[in-house]
Amino acid sequence: MIELLQSFARRLLWLPSRFLRWGFPGVENPMNHLGSLTIFFCWIVLISGIWLLIFFRTSVSGAFESLEYLTHQQWYLGGIMRSLHRYASDAMIVTIALHIFHEFSRNTYRVTRWFSWVAGLPLVWIVFILGISGYWLVWDELAQYVAITSSELLDAIPIFTSKMAANFLQDTSLSDRFFTLMAFLHLVGLPIFLVFGIWLHVFRLSSPRINPPKRLMAGTLLAMLVLALLFPAVSQDQANLAQAPQTLQLDWFYLHVFPLVQIWSPGWVWVLLTGISALILFAPWLPPGKAVKSAHVDLDNCNGCQRCADDCPYGAIQVVPRSDGKRYEHEVVVEADLCTSCGICVGACPTATPFRKRSPLVPGIDLPRSSAQVLKESIDEATATFPLVLSIACTGSPELAWLESNNKAVVAVSCVGQIPPSYLDYILSRNLSARILLTGCGGGCRHRFGMDWAEQRISRERDPNLRRRVGAHRIAMAWREPWSSLGGLKKQVAALEKQAQEDNR
Amino acid sequence: MKYAGQLLAYAAFFAFVAFLSVRPEVRLLGDDEAIVSLSFSHAANRIGECQRLTQEELLALPPNMRIPDQCPRERHLMQVELIMDEQTLYAATLAPTGLRSDGKATAYQRLRVTAGTHDFRIRMNDSGVPGQIDFEDSTTISLQPGQNLVVFFDPSNQQFRFQ
Repeated sequence: MIELLQSFARRLLWLPSRFLRWGFPGVENPMNHLGSLTIFFCWIVLISGIWLLIFFRTSVSGAFESLEYLTHQQWYLGGIMRSLHRYASDAMIVTIALHIFHEFSRNTYRVTRWFSWVAGLPLVWIVFILGISGYWLVWDELAQYVAITSSELLDAIPIFTSKMAANFLQDTSLSDRFFTLMAFLHLVGLPIFLVFGIWLHVFRLSSPRINPPKRLMAGTLLAMLVLALLFPAVSQDQANLAQAPQTLQLDWFYLHVFPLVQIWSPGWVWVLLTGISALILFAPWLPPGKAVKSAHVDLDNCNGCQRCADDCPYGAIQVVPRSDGKRYEHEVVVEADLCTSCGICVGACPTATPFRKRSPLVPGIDLPRSSAQVLKESIDEATATFPLVLSIACTGSPELAWLESNNKAVVAVSCVGQIPPSYLDYILSRNLSARILLTGCGGGCRHRFGMDWAEQRISRERDPNLRRRVGAHRIAMAWREPWSSLGGLKKQVAALEKQAQEDNR
Repeated sequence: MKYAGQLLAYAAFFAFVAFLSVRPEVRLLGDDEAIVSLSFSHAANRIGECQRLTQEELLALPPNMRIPDQCPRERHLMQVELIMDEQTLYAATLAPTGLRSDGKATAYQRLRVTAGTHDFRIRMNDSGVPGQIDFEDSTTISLQPGQNLVVFFDPSNQQFRFQ
């Protein structure tokens, strides 16, 4: 059932991703940077918000007037800042929704990766509360509607003895102090929780991508500036509690549930919101995933070089002082709760080399299910007939399925980052195959850095390097662009086979 | 081609953002509609009479509990009815708040009505005596379209107000 939903989500995301490929080929596709784009929009909201704060007056009449001044008298700066503040906040909701959908479609929120998913849920709530509280501060007709409706929502929680909404029925019941309180919440209280929440969200990731590519940032900011000039954000009529607004221009990104408060009731809206939140909260365990057998360290073969700790995408490997009395300074320890068993640590381990004479092959760090020894045996088996091209593909990827169904020589790995460069050396120097193709995880590595590390090791930019004697031209990599078809892979396999045949002549 | 694709992507994305940030408009009230907001908090009578203790009874109590009038804490349920042109707009039995049911009962309702001249009458029973009307007020008001008429209980004058 979950697989079906994920497959459906992938199909839905396919269309915008294909569309974006025209302008953003390769890794610059915004669909690969949804989390960091959200943080970028956060920055715009923060900086523009500071400018608005300088001119904002926290009083019943001052709030509206100060924003009118910014919008009309100081349109060239304050007005633009206000528009950026509004549109970046709205864009943030789009990227957050896509980010959730994207991670769900890629199944990267389950088992040991539940933490970032669950930590993201309070962030969503904080962003919504921030946005809604921001609309209160404008004190126009929309603010009046938002104040009354959100108070009615809060009043439905059976812990308050008096009705908060009663404060918004007459102008006499509203004081300037209310705006001071709301400004504090919007400008200080909630942003502190937001920053803390973002830190918690990426806490378990090593080297989290906080910023999108510079060109994407520049383009996004430029586009928002144009939008701010063409369609500046403006207030609606000033709030008048003696009058009820008849029609309103609603910000549907933040206020989409508000009309439901009138159509249903505040209680049912809470049922809806808590239901959706509970579903998101428990999604990593719906149904419970199979427990992952974490990587394990063999101290007899570990010299504490730390490469595995540097390369682990989840910060699951800790470097600690040596405990076995050997002359090395450090050893590594795997935190089983954080390990996803991707095998990238094995790819980084210099002792994971098939040239070692010791049998069975036991490197310093290894996977229990798909060990370095098993990998060597798989390669030996797949190359028993000396195929022209040996492919190494990620488990569960469409690439692997296509290669297997077309009877191509292929070895499955947890992640392409699992393959140490010495294995590529082993295949080519022993002439087990003429060409190697690394492929899998089209549209972004499921284990964050597997593709990057594999590329950098082969291009000798990252330890452990591919040895100089190996002709790097005999190794090809086929990373599909996000949501593209397998056509490119088919062509690349055919081209490699042709090159290998020409070499043989 | 690449830059054209980027231009198109940015335009499409921010057009979507700009559109949904103000459209479609939501209609909250019809052209000929107004709002009647009933909102007040009021403490109903206690469920029993207070009993005045004698001097001997007071001295028998610990010093910190020597209060001459011993009253039950719980309050009666409160009944409220708001009538417009002989039609009941709102009728409810409201429970006192608090774990010991000793707090004020709160009424809050926003009602959509047609604009125009209407006779309003509100009555409340807070004594717990069945059928008794403890407070009643009425007025005739000409409601403008979009007007928000607030009906509340003025505790200092012990009467309902239409404002």
